[in-house]
Amino acid sequence: MIIQILKEAWISISAYKLRTFLTMLGILIGVAAVVMMVSAGQTVQNEITKTFDSMGTNLILIGPGETVSGGVRGGRGKPTVTFDEVDALKKLKDVEAASFIVSAAAQAVYGSNNYGVSIYGTTPSYLTVGNWEIEQGQMFTEHDYKSGKPYVVIGQTIVNELFGLQNPIGKVIRLKSQPFTVIGVLKEKGDGMMGDDQDNIVLMPATTLRQRIQSYFRHNYASVVFVKAVSEDKMEIVANRVEYELRARHRLKDGVANDFTVRLMTEMVEKVRSIGFILSALLAAIASISLIVGSIGIMNMMLVSVTERTREIGTRKALGAPNKWIMFQFLAESILISFMGSFVGMIVGVIFSQIGGVIFDKDVPISIWSVIISVMVAVIVGVASGLMPALKAMKLDPIEALRYQ
Amino acid sequence: MAEIQPVIEVCDLCKTYYMAGGLSQSVLKHISFTIYPGEFVAIMGHSGSGKSTLMNILGCLDRPTSGTYQLSGENVSDKDDEALAIVRGQKIGFVFQNFNLLMKRTIADNVSLPLIYQGVGDEERRQRAVEMLKKVGLEGYEDRLPSQISGGMQQRVAIARALINNPSIIFADEPTGNLDSKTSDEIMELFAKLNEHGITIVLVTHEDDVADYAKRMIKIMDGEKAYDGLRADYKENQGA
Ligand SMILES: Nc1ncnc2c1ncn2[C@@H]1O[C@H](COP(=O)(O)OP(=O)(O)OP(=O)(O)O)[C@@H](O)[C@H]1O
Ligand SMILES: [Mg+2]
Repeated sequence: MIIQILKEAWISISAYKLRTFLTMLGILIGVAAVVMMVSAGQTVQNEITKTFDSMGTNLILIGPGETVSGGVRGGRGKPTVTFDEVDALKKLKDVEAASFIVSAAAQAVYGSNNYGVSIYGTTPSYLTVGNWEIEQGQMFTEHDYKSGKPYVVIGQTIVNELFGLQNPIGKVIRLKSQPFTVIGVLKEKGDGMMGDDQDNIVLMPATTLRQRIQSYFRHNYASVVFVKAVSEDKMEIVANRVEYELRARHRLKDGVANDFTVRLMTEMVEKVRSIGFILSALLAAIASISLIVGSIGIMNMMLVSVTERTREIGTRKALGAPNKWIMFQFLAESILISFMGSFVGMIVGVIFSQIGGVIFDKDVPISIWSVIISVMVAVIVGVASGLMPALKAMKLDPIEALRYQ
Repeated sequence: MAEIQPVIEVCDLCKTYYMAGGLSQSVLKHISFTIYPGEFVAIMGHSGSGKSTLMNILGCLDRPTSGTYQLSGENVSDKDDEALAIVRGQKIGFVFQNFNLLMKRTIADNVSLPLIYQGVGDEERRQRAVEMLKKVGLEGYEDRLPSQISGGMQQRVAIARALINNPSIIFADEPTGNLDSKTSDEIMELFAKLNEHGITIVLVTHEDDVADYAKRMIKIMDGEKAYDGLRADYKENQGA
């Protein structure tokens, strides 16, 4: 019976091709919009994850403490973790690597070329914690670090800007008028989360930075410390160990707040991701307003159709159609329309998101959500907008309906 | 010898319309009659006398206010809508004044429409429609649309549709009302031929030449049965 009902419904709606198509269009656009918004949201979330991954995985970040004055939390305080303390953190259980940075900015000069760069004073382990690889040459060694050698490892952008096609290894560049020998080149990472250039970077031993570029600093405090846990599930406990170790070293009594902050990279990822999720849900919600409009369109069309086909309904009833049959036929018509609209809308949405992906040079996932959303929309919109007209058709008195002109 | 079972047995049938404001109109008053298989009955009467009201009740589209109505031995006077739909689909064939074909559907689809509700499959429906169209003289018209054939032909299609489920009886309310006199005659001849093949027919008309095709005549006046007998006798009395 269901097949017969669907067949009758299909024949009925295909008898009015233009009208059916125009009605479908509302749902089509709505679903396409929602699918595109969801794809966009997912793409953003994936990009965020990718960027965080490129910054390093299983990372714990230790930064300056928050200043507290009169019980009110203020801004960031001063860095309190020394270079030597980072060495101690390296030895904690389940720590794969620990490193830190102190940063500076300067013009890098080579021959007649110069370029503004970020300088990170760090340790050899920075490659591990920061997920960097060496493309050419080598990283400075523990020995270079200890003795403060004027060696630098540079990012791809700086290679391009200063050296062009020349081999940079062994060349001497100047930073703040000091000469530094290029001993390595980092593999390209691409843009960061904020569109910043991650490859515009010069790495050198932190000791070198302090001695040659920031000699006015008297202390050896790290701006940000990175501790990499051996695995994701060890992050929490490593964070606790780090906190315990630093409190002990800073001789903080019970009840005294930390003079540093410990944060898990995963928490930050989740926070940013959840913002991305809320954003895409919001966009999808806005897009779904067009679905409501489309749904009203179907209801309107079906009501017109029931009125127009009053005589047909009367005839069908006189010829033995049960009331339920009539109701289901009209319901099936609206469901078919919303199904076709959703299906084509889903395809259009996916195609447009892929085109968008090509234009913006991003990997846009084709998600199962597109299918789930369109099927749900098809059923909900079809039933919601078809029910009232279907009931109206069902309730028609056959005698009145047959008399209808 | 077994008694022949009547197709229609109406006993003391009344229909009263209740309208807003407490008004009521008694349209059918204590009507009784019996119709046997193979009869050809014309129901006549002035406009507003209640013919269509009676036909709607006989056709199970409406229920009487009081009295009983048995259709081939089954009491249908107090069945609900769903049950009446089943009775209509299985036992009754309708022919309407304005044909009531589905204009967007082919002739074959129109003829076989009642079979959908009997759960008959596509192939058998098509086959039975072709057969039925042959019987009403429309062989080869299966795939045309109603708009592509004449009014007389459309009414033939409607008659084929009425016959497709092998009904116990065919009801036709003014079947020639929209046709010219020549086409009317053709349609009435078709009815007469079908009746010769044993099909029971009840038709409503106010045209004498149309009624002449029927053997029996029931006349309604102001909702009451005013005459019930042979059409020929009635004419003789009128003439005298
Ligand atoms: N649904 C209804 N509600 C109230 N009154 C009705 C209804 N249907 C019919 N009537 C009244 O019942 C009476 C009989 O109507 P009916 O249609 O049966 O007459 P008829 O004999 O078929 O007339 P005609 O030859 O014009 O077709 C009329 O007075 C009509 O106004
Ligand atoms: Mg009438």
